[in-house]
Amino acid sequence: MRVYRKHWWVPWAFLALPLAMYLVWVIIPIIQTLSLSFTSWDGLSPTTRFIGWRNFEDLFHDSIFWTSIQNNIRWLILFILVPVPGGLAIALLLDQKLPGNKMYKTLFYLPMTLSFVVIGLVWSWIYDPQYGALTTALNSIGLSSLNRAWLNDPSIVTYSLVFAAIWRQIPYIMVLYLAGLKNVPPEMVEAGIVDGANRVQRFWYIIFPMLKPATIIAVTVSVIDSLRSFDIVFVMTRGGPFYSSNVLANYMYIEGFHNYRMGYGSAIAVIQFAITFGFILVYLSNVMKSEGVD
Amino acid sequence: MKARKWIWLVVLLVVVVSTLGAQRLVINSYMSDEAPRRVFAELVDQFRALHPEYTVVLNVFPHEDFKVLIRTQLASANAPDVATWFAGERMRYFASRGLLAPIDDVFPDGFGKDFPAAFESACAYDGTLYFVPQSWYWWGIYYNTKVFDALNLTVPENWYQFLKTCEILKQNGYTPIAIGTRGTWTTGGWFDSLNMRLHGLEFHTDLTAGIIPYTDPRVEETLSSLADLAKRGYFLENHASYDWQEAATRLFNGEAGMYLMGQFIKDVAPADVRDDLDFFRFPIIDGTIGIYEDTPIDGFLVPANAQNKDGAKVFLKFIASKEAQEYFAVQLGRLAANRHVPPPDAHAQKGLDMILASDGVMQFYDRDTDPQMADRGMNAFVELMMFPDRLRTILQSLERDRQRIFQ
Amino acid sequence: MLKPKKSFVFFFYISATIIVGMWLVPFLITTFTSLKTMNELMATRTAWAPPAQIYTGNFREAWEVSGMQRYFGNTFIITIPSVVGTLLISSLSAFALAFYQFRFSRAVLILFVGGMLIPFQMLLIPVFRFSNQVGLYDTYQGVILFHVAFQLGFCTFFLRNFMKTIPSSLYESARIDGARDFTIYRKIVMPLTVPAMAALGILQFTWIWNDYLWSLILLQSDHYKPVTLGLVTLRGQWIASWNLIAAGSLIAAIVPLTVFLIFQRYFIEGLTVGAVKG
Repeated sequence: MRVYRKHWWVPWAFLALPLAMYLVWVIIPIIQTLSLSFTSWDGLSPTTRFIGWRNFEDLFHDSIFWTSIQNNIRWLILFILVPVPGGLAIALLLDQKLPGNKMYKTLFYLPMTLSFVVIGLVWSWIYDPQYGALTTALNSIGLSSLNRAWLNDPSIVTYSLVFAAIWRQIPYIMVLYLAGLKNVPPEMVEAGIVDGANRVQRFWYIIFPMLKPATIIAVTVSVIDSLRSFDIVFVMTRGGPFYSSNVLANYMYIEGFHNYRMGYGSAIAVIQFAITFGFILVYLSNVMKSEGVD
Repeated sequence: MKARKWIWLVVLLVVVVSTLGAQRLVINSYMSDEAPRRVFAELVDQFRALHPEYTVVLNVFPHEDFKVLIRTQLASANAPDVATWFAGERMRYFASRGLLAPIDDVFPDGFGKDFPAAFESACAYDGTLYFVPQSWYWWGIYYNTKVFDALNLTVPENWYQFLKTCEILKQNGYTPIAIGTRGTWTTGGWFDSLNMRLHGLEFHTDLTAGIIPYTDPRVEETLSSLADLAKRGYFLENHASYDWQEAATRLFNGEAGMYLMGQFIKDVAPADVRDDLDFFRFPIIDGTIGIYEDTPIDGFLVPANAQNKDGAKVFLKFIASKEAQEYFAVQLGRLAANRHVPPPDAHAQKGLDMILASDGVMQFYDRDTDPQMADRGMNAFVELMMFPDRLRTILQSLERDRQRIFQ
Repeated sequence: MLKPKKSFVFFFYISATIIVGMWLVPFLITTFTSLKTMNELMATRTAWAPPAQIYTGNFREAWEVSGMQRYFGNTFIITIPSVVGTLLISSLSAFALAFYQFRFSRAVLILFVGGMLIPFQMLLIPVFRFSNQVGLYDTYQGVILFHVAFQLGFCTFFLRNFMKTIPSSLYESARIDGARDFTIYRKIVMPLTVPAMAALGILQFTWIWNDYLWSLILLQSDHYKPVTLGLVTLRGQWIASWNLIAAGSLIAAIVPLTVFLIFQRYFIEGLTVGAVKG
């Protein structure tokens, strides 16, 4: 958008206050964390030692760190594969001009209003291997062979946690797609009906392409939330049993705040930031491209 | 905007209050459970009545979060004047870094006048006192008397009898030992008890101090006893899914026979089950070794950055007094640290007698050893209980951690 | 206008009810928990089942005894200025980035967007130390200022995208009429941005209302605590009063839900234009 500008300092005048606040509370703290990652600070003592790359070397040899990264990747893949199509499907389903659809939408939004403490608690009851709701449900429909120790078995605990997180994520994605659907001109869809296209064709050739911007956001949000996941893991398992469900954010928090290894925790944070930043670049170039010439 | 008015009002209040700073006393507490919270608030009120020259501010934090917050609070210029905390290594960690104020003058006639000599080392660092104890509790094997009666079981006193008891429980369809390891600290009790029964107090002290390698054959012996119990299937199935409270339900409703736990398990028991609960001392394994138990002590400390250290000490003298300690103990059924306070009920008396008959005490694994080591250790114990065959690799991994942490 | 077939209507209601019903099971369990007594919670094996006896005392207890009223007030004091502050201030930066071309504009945008995506645990200690040093620790302002600053990233980006959909002709004709930049911002752009700000306001409100970690780190006195902290205090050293926590959480959830209901219209509209259109 070309705009005539009187003085060069005008945009900076507008940016002054927001940039200043942002620098003070966000940017500078990030830089401080970066510098902390090169120290052995314990989070308490008034002084600390500079140790160069030691923390990062230790991380490289730290099996818990690699387990966390693996888990984050599991989160990433599942968060893209499930909530995005799931949220889309629910949005498509509920977005009908039928009475009561607003009620359904509001009810579906409820999971987002609950605090993570409660979500974690309730899901751990559902997952109770002996008396939990999930186990009971599977038993009652004759699928008791599928029963597992959902939170106990190190090989599936991460999946159990991701599932609980997805429960909360799908309503969020649904809302994004509901907004996107509002952008689809009804005339185009009706033209499709007149041309004899059935429901599936209408969706695939008309609606879905117009949802591309919404899909980009949905995927990006899912990527970022999966790499940043913390609350569910912290509340339900603390990264256990014996670190098998650990993720980077949780590991950083426990090392930094519970185990008096603030320097080490900062190093973990730096790595997490680097990984996420990689995705920022991808996202930004996508957005810039779709905007055309700036 | 209304909010802005509020903000200025608050700022004004804070300014006014802080100018009265000399007489202000800030107490931070982690007693977020309903009953202790209430009782402690009442004690603070009593203090207020006795010392109207102080404006006392009491802040209560969620217990788990407090453990994280206290660090930031100690390191800040706005440290509270008094804070609740745990005795032992947890306190010494701060003292060794100069974050606590010495409080020898709270005990003008010496620590031993009012408090058990056995507690002194847990309250001091390098010969100086930094900690005022308030209450303590013991760990024992709690059992469901109805279950034992139904199977005609008697309380086991040695390891052989204990294993037999477990076996009988198992054969009859009960879970012999309830435990919830989602919060890993429950495993600390088992490690401590086994280690002290097998190798005694000095060995355990040295181990938690990081002097003894985890690959030492004696440590292996301790952990292989634990692994043995797991292999025989005596622990609650899927214990890592449950936190300690959920596992306790199994004991209360009679599905499980025993639970190695601290005294507070009675606080959680439903009213109709409470009388069916009793405890016995952890069984003796080696008759030649002395009898040692875990007795975690809770109390108070004064940060070095406190604004009102003198006021803090006045409060500490109050809280150390027989009256204050007795009030707390009676209201909550706890054991007071003050020697002159009698146990509040029969259950507490039994616990006290058990400890008095012991040869020495430790705090608890995660209060005796470096916090990082405790985290690695307890997680390793959980892994061992789930995969007993991994004993060797677990010990080696713990030893690597020990070398890194205690170097 | 084509009417949907009867069979489809049937399908809609059945599947919507089933799916939404299944989705709300955890919510239902929370409600059951809030209606149980502590005794029942500790005695029953099926913690998720409906209460044997309905006990409504938890709600009253959570509200009165545990100081909820105070915490609720605090949460409003923290949330509302934070939302208003971040919306207004980010509209300034969004305006600059949407309507002006200048050197570094892309870098500034990346800066804001980058901050949007950091793991915020990274900021905990530095921000704590900073707040301590300048005397913002344990104050409402300290928490509010942090929330305002931290949300600037996402809000700037979001509002910038929205403002880009405003036709430049409006801007140019105002210029030709001799209007100054700030007047254009105030009188033309801002009124048009209201739907997007309403939508963003809901998201921000929900997020800050449910914030736990920052209030935990930046506040000390019980006096200032928001409802999220108050709830967790019910989780003691040994005993967690799950029934009280459930009741308190349900009470707390009412506010963001109400905000959602009220502003739902703008929510959907605003999200559409701001985020979807390039």
